[in-house]
Amino acid sequence: MIFLDIAVNSKPMDWFPILLQLGIAVAFAAVMIGATQLLGPKRKTSDKLVNFESGIENVGNARQPMAIKYFLVAILFVLFDVEVIFFYPYAVNFRSLGWDGFLEVLLFITLFLVGFVYIIKKGALQWEE
Amino acid sequence: MNIIIASALLGVVLMLSGVFLNHAKGKRTLAIFASIILMVVAVVDVMQNTNNTILHFNGLMATNSFTAKLNAVIAFCSMLYIFLFSNEISKVGLNDAEYFALIFFALTGVFILTSYQNMFMLFLGIEILSIPQYILAGSDKRNVKSNEASLKYFLMGAFSTGFLLMGITLIYGATGTFDVSKMALMGSGEPSTIALLGILFLIVALGFKASAAPFHVWTPDVYDGSPTAFTPFMASIAKVAIFAAFIHLFHASFAGLAGRWHIIIIAIIVLTLLIGNVTAVYQQSVKRMLAYSSIAQAGFLLFAVYSLNEISQKGILLYGASYMLATMSIFAVLIKMKDYTFDGFNGLAKKQPVLAFAAAIALFSLAGIPLTGGFFGKYYMLNGAMQNGMPIWVLIFAVLMAAISVYYYFKVIQAMYFKTSIQDATEPDAVIDVPFKVMLIINTALLILLGIYPTIVTIF
Repeated sequence: MIFLDIAVNSKPMDWFPILLQLGIAVAFAAVMIGATQLLGPKRKTSDKLVNFESGIENVGNARQPMAIKYFLVAILFVLFDVEVIFFYPYAVNFRSLGWDGFLEVLLFITLFLVGFVYIIKKGALQWEE
Repeated sequence: MNIIIASALLGVVLMLSGVFLNHAKGKRTLAIFASIILMVVAVVDVMQNTNNTILHFNGLMATNSFTAKLNAVIAFCSMLYIFLFSNEISKVGLNDAEYFALIFFALTGVFILTSYQNMFMLFLGIEILSIPQYILAGSDKRNVKSNEASLKYFLMGAFSTGFLLMGITLIYGATGTFDVSKMALMGSGEPSTIALLGILFLIVALGFKASAAPFHVWTPDVYDGSPTAFTPFMASIAKVAIFAAFIHLFHASFAGLAGRWHIIIIAIIVLTLLIGNVTAVYQQSVKRMLAYSSIAQAGFLLFAVYSLNEISQKGILLYGASYMLATMSIFAVLIKMKDYTFDGFNGLAKKQPVLAFAAAIALFSLAGIPLTGGFFGKYYMLNGAMQNGMPIWVLIFAVLMAAISVYYYFKVIQAMYFKTSIQDATEPDAVIDVPFKVMLIINTALLILLGIYPTIVTIF
């Protein structure tokens, strides 16, 4: 409720420090970037303009067609990974949730397995072919 | 409440039928069977419900006799939709079982939207309804227009969802609750700027989903580009559900602040009616014309948001029912045509009298001609708004716009009945069998029945 009071009863003037800070931040960043541009030495070499690849030399172009399989597996991984995250809070509250919680998690796992069966049967994880 | 669980489970069953059933006919039969089950569940829900509002799931959902009736009307129309279009849905692509499954998942969202009581459920309902539609819009993978429709719908839909979330956040900030019925208190005293801003965001988001102008720009491309089998679902069932949600939120929560947002709704109504109707006049393709006409119909449905009374509830039932039935009919005929332009309908009355008659009655209803459901739908909408003190010029403007709509609807009727064509207007391999014709006649008969006994949906 305290937050609500601040939001409802505040006057525009109360927000002035935030505006001031915003202004200082923008000005500071602009001055710093501008100063390095103006004062710093400029030596452009071809090596400096290359994308940084953790010190390894660039090989080819990154923009080439890739098999859809990679995306499919990646997205399914994310999906199941996120589903597994739901087990952690359940594991922590395992005792206090009792049988009701158990049944609900069982329902969740059933739905999750139906999706898994669907994916397997649909052949989404078949790498060869 | 059972209907939400039923539609989700039936969706899962239909999804699995894609991998366990091999014949397209088997999957189709299963889908038809599932839609009948859904209808039965809806009827059971109506019989169980009393007039009292019952809360479910710790106050997340609330049902009463109105929501049960609306669910039943929607379930009935989805049954007709599956009956009329199941052949065409299987023909769209290889994943026929998934299309049916997605339709049932979208219906889960529809039933959440009709009876939500918490803004979480509003958000979830809109997402559950929208995401299957993005996929259905792009289900014709080889067709560039279908791809465009899907991408456009997805990007614009995601953008408007951002508005929805921002609106919900601001309203929460102002009231401290997500519960729709507990927000009604905020009418007392001077409303905070945060609340007003939140209402504005919600109008934008819901107006977008309901394709009200000036947020309608995606509608023609999406409805035109999507496979014709799915357009009637998006244009009728999904749209009515969004309006049910729109009306519920604004009547239950923001009625106290009506003085502030009524003017915005009037502006949106006027713009929607004007843009929808006038642009529809210039269309060459009937499918695109129907997309613009659905924008124009959204303008009429918005009157129910304005009017904060009982009549608008009856109005949304009646208008929704007649609009859904009429859209099904006209699209069921359109999908059998070879050529979607107005000239493509030339001479249809000679070759296919049943189809031409069904299309004519559907267009009469959309235009609001008496003795069809559309007339009483529009009557209830305007009456409800008038009772709530809407400026009279808006009502006159709406009637004028309905008169404009007669022009483009009747262009199709004129082509069917008064023009001749040498070749057959329908697609050579289109299945126009006896069951299809029977369903079409039932649909048409219901439209006329609604025009003669409009109270049939409001009492039953």
